[in-house]
Amino acid sequence: MARGALDLRRAPARGLSGTRALGRRRRDDSWFHPRAPAAWKHVDLVLLGCALSVSALGALMILSSTRGTDPDAYDPSYLRRQVLFIGIGMAGMVAVTLVDYRRLRDFAWLPYVAVLFILGLVLSPLGTEQRGTQAWFQLGAFQLQPAELAKVVTVFALAALFARFEPPLPARRLAVGLALCGLPVGLILAQPDLGTALVFVAIVTGMVFVGGARMRHIVVLTAFGVIAVIGVLNSDLLEDYQRDRLTEFLEQDQGLVTAETYNLDQSKAAIASGGTSGKGLFEGTQTRLGFVPEQHTDFIFTALGEELGFAGSATLLALFALMCLRILRTAQIAHDRLGTLICAGVLSMLVFQVFQNVGMTMGIMPITGITLPFMSYGGSSVVASWLAVGLVLNVHMRRFG
Amino acid sequence: MSLQSVNGAVGGGGNGTAGRHKVPRLRLSMLAVVATALFASLFARLYDLQVVGSSDYQVQAEANRVRTVQVPAPRGRIVDRNGKVLVDNRVAVVVAIDRNVFGDLAEAEQAALLQRLTGELTAAGQVITPEEVTERLRDQRYSRYAPVPVATDVPEDLKIYLEEHAAEFPSVVVERTPVREYPYGNLAAHILGYVGKINDDELAFVEASDDTAKPYALNDEIGKTGVERTYERYLRGTPGVRRIEVDAEGDPVRVISEREPRPGDDLVLSIDIDLQAVAEQALQQGLADARARPPNRDNPPNNATTGAVVVEDPNNGQLLALASYPTYDPTAFVDGIDANEWAYLNDPANHYPLNNWAIQGQWAPGSTYKLFMGYAALHSGLMAPDTIFYDGGGYLIPGCTGLKCYRSNAGGAAHGAVNISEALTVSSDAFFYNVGAQFWLQRERFGDEGLQGYLAPWGVGEETGVALTGERPGRIAGPTWKREYNEPIGGDTVWRTGDSVNVGVGQGDVLVTPLQLANGYATFANGGTRYVPQVALRAQTYRTGDVTQEFAPEAAGRVEIAPQERQALLDGLANVPVRGTAAGAFAGFPLEDFPIAGKTGTAQVDNKADTALFSAFGPVNAPRYQVTAVLEESGFGATSAAPVVRRVFEVLAGVTPRPVAGPNGLPVNPEGGGLVGGGGAGYD
Repeated sequence: MARGALDLRRAPARGLSGTRALGRRRRDDSWFHPRAPAAWKHVDLVLLGCALSVSALGALMILSSTRGTDPDAYDPSYLRRQVLFIGIGMAGMVAVTLVDYRRLRDFAWLPYVAVLFILGLVLSPLGTEQRGTQAWFQLGAFQLQPAELAKVVTVFALAALFARFEPPLPARRLAVGLALCGLPVGLILAQPDLGTALVFVAIVTGMVFVGGARMRHIVVLTAFGVIAVIGVLNSDLLEDYQRDRLTEFLEQDQGLVTAETYNLDQSKAAIASGGTSGKGLFEGTQTRLGFVPEQHTDFIFTALGEELGFAGSATLLALFALMCLRILRTAQIAHDRLGTLICAGVLSMLVFQVFQNVGMTMGIMPITGITLPFMSYGGSSVVASWLAVGLVLNVHMRRFG
Repeated sequence: MSLQSVNGAVGGGGNGTAGRHKVPRLRLSMLAVVATALFASLFARLYDLQVVGSSDYQVQAEANRVRTVQVPAPRGRIVDRNGKVLVDNRVAVVVAIDRNVFGDLAEAEQAALLQRLTGELTAAGQVITPEEVTERLRDQRYSRYAPVPVATDVPEDLKIYLEEHAAEFPSVVVERTPVREYPYGNLAAHILGYVGKINDDELAFVEASDDTAKPYALNDEIGKTGVERTYERYLRGTPGVRRIEVDAEGDPVRVISEREPRPGDDLVLSIDIDLQAVAEQALQQGLADARARPPNRDNPPNNATTGAVVVEDPNNGQLLALASYPTYDPTAFVDGIDANEWAYLNDPANHYPLNNWAIQGQWAPGSTYKLFMGYAALHSGLMAPDTIFYDGGGYLIPGCTGLKCYRSNAGGAAHGAVNISEALTVSSDAFFYNVGAQFWLQRERFGDEGLQGYLAPWGVGEETGVALTGERPGRIAGPTWKREYNEPIGGDTVWRTGDSVNVGVGQGDVLVTPLQLANGYATFANGGTRYVPQVALRAQTYRTGDVTQEFAPEAAGRVEIAPQERQALLDGLANVPVRGTAAGAFAGFPLEDFPIAGKTGTAQVDNKADTALFSAFGPVNAPRYQVTAVLEESGFGATSAAPVVRRVFEVLAGVTPRPVAGPNGLPVNPEGGGLVGGGGAGYD
């Protein structure tokens, strides 16, 4: 059968002996790690390559959006730090892949509890507040945003929980899973950081779905979620400015110039004025002259859109799409439910973040503080993105057992 | 379940559920569908923005980053026909405030700075309050990228003081800007006009116009009156344009492009400034002389309040001089006129020095109208050149039944049997009373407006079209006018023979401006072509003098006049200075070398001294100059106006040396000029 042949062409995993595998290994040794465990041979190079490409593109755009108008006064620290973050992230990715994810399962509670603790800690006076959100620890020259790491940790914790049960997921387990996700969400909303909290909602939705929850539970939960969103928007729980930020994108292009629409107007102007082929690297006026607020972080996509145009930004979306495809593929071929659920969680996270971030810069989603994975400036976000890739690679390279 | 089986095959032997799990393919596929939909919508939106709708946003992005600043350009100079500079530019010191720096100061510092700066300015003669400065600084119409001017043309020592104490005047900038300078002082002020800061109405007007080659900014200068206004489009320089790239804060980053300001064109007037000085001085002298004389009959005294002199070339309508009294000094308007001076210039007691009485003043023409009446009489066929009328010293209006049915001649003298030439020479009122009366009595033949139809071609009832500001139309009184004028105010609407009699001697409701009168006589002088009086000859490039626009003589109409008609009228006018009403005024003038034809006029005005008029041209057979003088409240035309015209003709004929004008018109060298004999040089 075709699929069998396909998989046989790929060498079996560690511990399986056989003349074919040995012969294969000998041939492979000529170009790959001679002493590496066999799993290293099954690394998803496409996924890795995509993540690397996006990171490189991100670093380039951070350079562009932070170099300003005066070349002599350029502060290269943003670029330097981002490259450092990418290095740390990749080291973290390697660390995550070193140990079989199945062995890590029993210890999933450990990072989860740790991350809950630091999420609580960040709300204490030890945390730092920026623009009304208490989300960072100031560690010397660097900042740590625990909520970013919490995303990956929660994916693994939920996967570990749901993998214990065959579908359909019992209601009680489902409730435990929701609680597992709800704890960090609650702490993050206390910061408050609505954007990151929404990522958790996306993660848990995807994982509950793939994890085998009953359709009626899903329908009830969805209905509850919709009612909750409407309720929150119409209640006093949100400050006016928060509500305005969430709904302003529905009122764009009506000729109103308010503080609320300024971000969106400038963001759209940057992307759209790039046209088909862009204004050229470092030639974007919206970017160079600082018209787009938060451009090197949440609005990094606008720099790409303006300077490299449709060609550049469509390429980026294609890279993300390809990453999603590889993660989906890994979910399908994972050795076990744990692996599948990990991939489903990472996939949900990635798809939602890309859609939410890129969507808000183009005015099809409300503006919430959310990073573009691998691209946005920021150590926690970059490291978390690479850790997530590490988890998927771990699953992928150990798909044979 | 091929994947399952594969997993089973290769992963067999694992513990628990590992390797044997049931892959949730359907749900993963659904997740994939959702992901695909989300990515598809991103692609679609991206395409919509970047490929379909890009150009709108490109405009928006460009507008974000580019600011345009105008750099004022000097106005063109105004020179007379001989190239003498009448209006020049001089560099003046401007005190301005850089709003960007000012905004960074603490509130107390700002207040103290304004207090001190306005104190210094006021002490230096530039009266301004801190509140006025604050208001200017708040005016968002001033460009953010150029300092806001606070005072123009401050004295040099204040400039030095401000520069030496720059640290104590943060945000205060001392700049230089071109301003108007008038080498001849108040000479020709009414022709030149003055410039001033553009006002809101003018700004709105120019912004609405299609002509965007020379855009205006707030605080820019614009011509307000005279040729400064009417030739604004030539005189105004093309502002320089500096395109500045700004960042999101609006701070300038760099200059993208810069176009140097280009000065406006120089304007060459048809005016001869030396002759203008002669005319102005003759007018002033004439008015002064008139004041010294007793009034006619039992009139109020000769106040001699206002007057005008026009010198025109009848062959092309070019104005050589245009004097108006009283006058003003245009220098007062540089850097803005102060309130006291403005009040003085607009006080009725001072007879409105800003008015150009040569085109804005409207007076009854009196006997000067008889030229046009004579034409009406001859050309209509009412009379022939040899038709005799007996002037018994007055005229009984036919068919009249009221109290004022007998009109006596001015002065009551009887001239006996006169033909039309003689009637002009001696200014027989009775003759022209009759002409006026006959047109109305024979209205079956000539029509109700028959007389008016023969007067209109001379241009005495409409604007001449001269390129100066404020011109009035004059008035030819007639039945239609009387009805339309009096109906709304409930006055007498019926035209009577007496009304026509009044028109016959330029009285009643007839009005002309001095320029209309001059232009009518010039039309007669050249044989019937009525030109639009011309004040400018050409526009040429600043200083280098390449002609950019030539202003050719322009005919406004033609008077059909037969040679024998013209000869009869000309004979009458030519004898006026020889043995007619102006003989006294021209006694001693070499009329045999430089024959002059003209007509006196003395118009009666209720409760005022008479208006004195004289209009003449010469030499008679090939007229080169038309000179008209109108003096209000000055008595007889023969004694008050004719001498003014004679004084101008003396210079034109070379009888007296041609003076060279100096500041304010006083000839600095009365002996100089060296123009002797032959009748002047080069006014044609």
